[in-house]
Amino acid sequence: MSSSKLTSLKPYFYLLPSLLVVFFFVGYGLYSAAKSSVAVEEGQPFYYHYQQLFQEGVFLNALAVSIWVAFISTAVSLVIGIWMTRHLVRLFKQDHWKFIAWFPMLIPHFVAAYIVFLLFAPSGWFSSVAFQSGWLENMSQFPLLVNDPYYIGVILTYIWKEIPFVILMLLPVYQEMDMRYEDVSRTLGGNGWTVFKTVEFPWVWPVSLEVFLILFVFVLGAFEVPALLGVTYPKMIPVLAYDWFYQAAWVNRPLAHAMMVFLSAVSLAAAFFILTFAQRWRSRWAMRREEA
Amino acid sequence: MIFNRKKAAQAVWFTGCILLFVAPVVIMFIKSVSFGWSWPEWRPDQFSLRAWEVMFRDPALSRSLYVTVAVGVSVVLINFLIAVPSAYALSRFSFKGKGVVEALLMMPILIPVLAIAMGMHLTMIRLGLTDRITGVILIHLLPTLPYAVRVLKAGFDRLSFDWEEQSAVLGAGRWTTFWTVVVPLIIPSLRSTAVLVFVISLSQYVLTAIIGGGKVLTLPMIYYPYFNSADEAVVAGFSVLFALLPIAFLIVWEAVIKGYLFVIRKP
Repeated sequence: MSSSKLTSLKPYFYLLPSLLVVFFFVGYGLYSAAKSSVAVEEGQPFYYHYQQLFQEGVFLNALAVSIWVAFISTAVSLVIGIWMTRHLVRLFKQDHWKFIAWFPMLIPHFVAAYIVFLLFAPSGWFSSVAFQSGWLENMSQFPLLVNDPYYIGVILTYIWKEIPFVILMLLPVYQEMDMRYEDVSRTLGGNGWTVFKTVEFPWVWPVSLEVFLILFVFVLGAFEVPALLGVTYPKMIPVLAYDWFYQAAWVNRPLAHAMMVFLSAVSLAAAFFILTFAQRWRSRWAMRREEA
Repeated sequence: MIFNRKKAAQAVWFTGCILLFVAPVVIMFIKSVSFGWSWPEWRPDQFSLRAWEVMFRDPALSRSLYVTVAVGVSVVLINFLIAVPSAYALSRFSFKGKGVVEALLMMPILIPVLAIAMGMHLTMIRLGLTDRITGVILIHLLPTLPYAVRVLKAGFDRLSFDWEEQSAVLGAGRWTTFWTVVVPLIIPSLRSTAVLVFVISLSQYVLTAIIGGGKVLTLPMIYYPYFNSADEAVVAGFSVLFALLPIAFLIVWEAVIKGYLFVIRKP
């Protein structure tokens, strides 16, 4: 083999270990999960468990509450994260503030869940403060914000944990942005919102889509927080899947597999559409800038 | 006038950030060293280290502290071993199928890890990897590797190729160049990767529960049953421990790096 050919193979060689890990776990893991989800008894169609799944009210409610939690917590973190980044970047010349904003990233999700419990539970700190201020006379008057059917506590936990992630991803975007366009917009009489819409949005939009995707699929598939701050009914999908997976005699294991395979398919489809869209947007804007 | 307004805005934002991101953790810490602080007191009136003593007298906790650190450090080291070459390749070479490779490496954060762990469960049993620390370390690669590759690739992207060329011109071999030029320059990215990977590994409950089968007791495994316990100060202390571990890890890391730089700077 010639040395040039060897050189051209080098990157693949460097990438091999990572790819092996991904193929072994993701490829094989997903394959086995799919196989277990279509393992049916004689006379049943291969999609039997999927059919069962969609007739199951427990599953449909879990799906609804999972989408609700994932959408609200992702959207709120994204909006607050962008808002904070654009103000902090303009306000401070140096970016030492980022270490404060990134601090929650050092805290595991389940500890963040405990912090939310500590602050927002009926026996929590805010409730105590409310009592001292005379706003309530006993604990039961405090609104139910943890282990509540709307998953407010779970949403608060995710928002606190994900705002730093949004800032982490958007900070480089803002630091590389050409702020002279802001002067143009301001001189032409644009206010803060106009500046955001015309100057920052084209840069921020594709990254925001990507961040939205990562956070949305993460919240959809994560077990740790809803296991602590959720309720027995409705459960979020990962908690329900874990329950079914370990239920007596493994009778519900195929259903658990079917549910998680379905969730994986939804996540992958979302990823495909969002990333393709972000890519198109980027290249369209790159072209416009060159024309100008 | 304008100058003062900016100063005031800076102070407001700075305080806001502290209140939002740091103060909740401080309250948790105070809770862990308080004595008999309960509703409706908004602040404790007595302090005590009782909760910390209770925690560390529990032999299960010190054992799982050891397991957790062993898992975390192994996951960090294996990530370096496989993510550094991958990130280097993605940053420095253009080759066919690069987009596909990048998409494949993102897969573990796009697909719920729970689906994969459940699918792997029987296979891992057959391979004899369940119920033991090796299996847990391997499965922790899944949620960490995509981030390691991403952070390191960004690091290599920022690093100019000129330094490596200069080293080569001065007659250094490839291997010497890597260890004495590339590694020292990439240290900030290595640090971010190490801390990020360690924290992600520390945050895993469900993967460890399924693959470890309740036999590999990392700290989260004993934290979950604790969560609803009546001794609130102990739960708070336990939670603070999770925040302290990455900080301790970072301190040890800095010491190791100082040692490394000292060694390679020796002529």
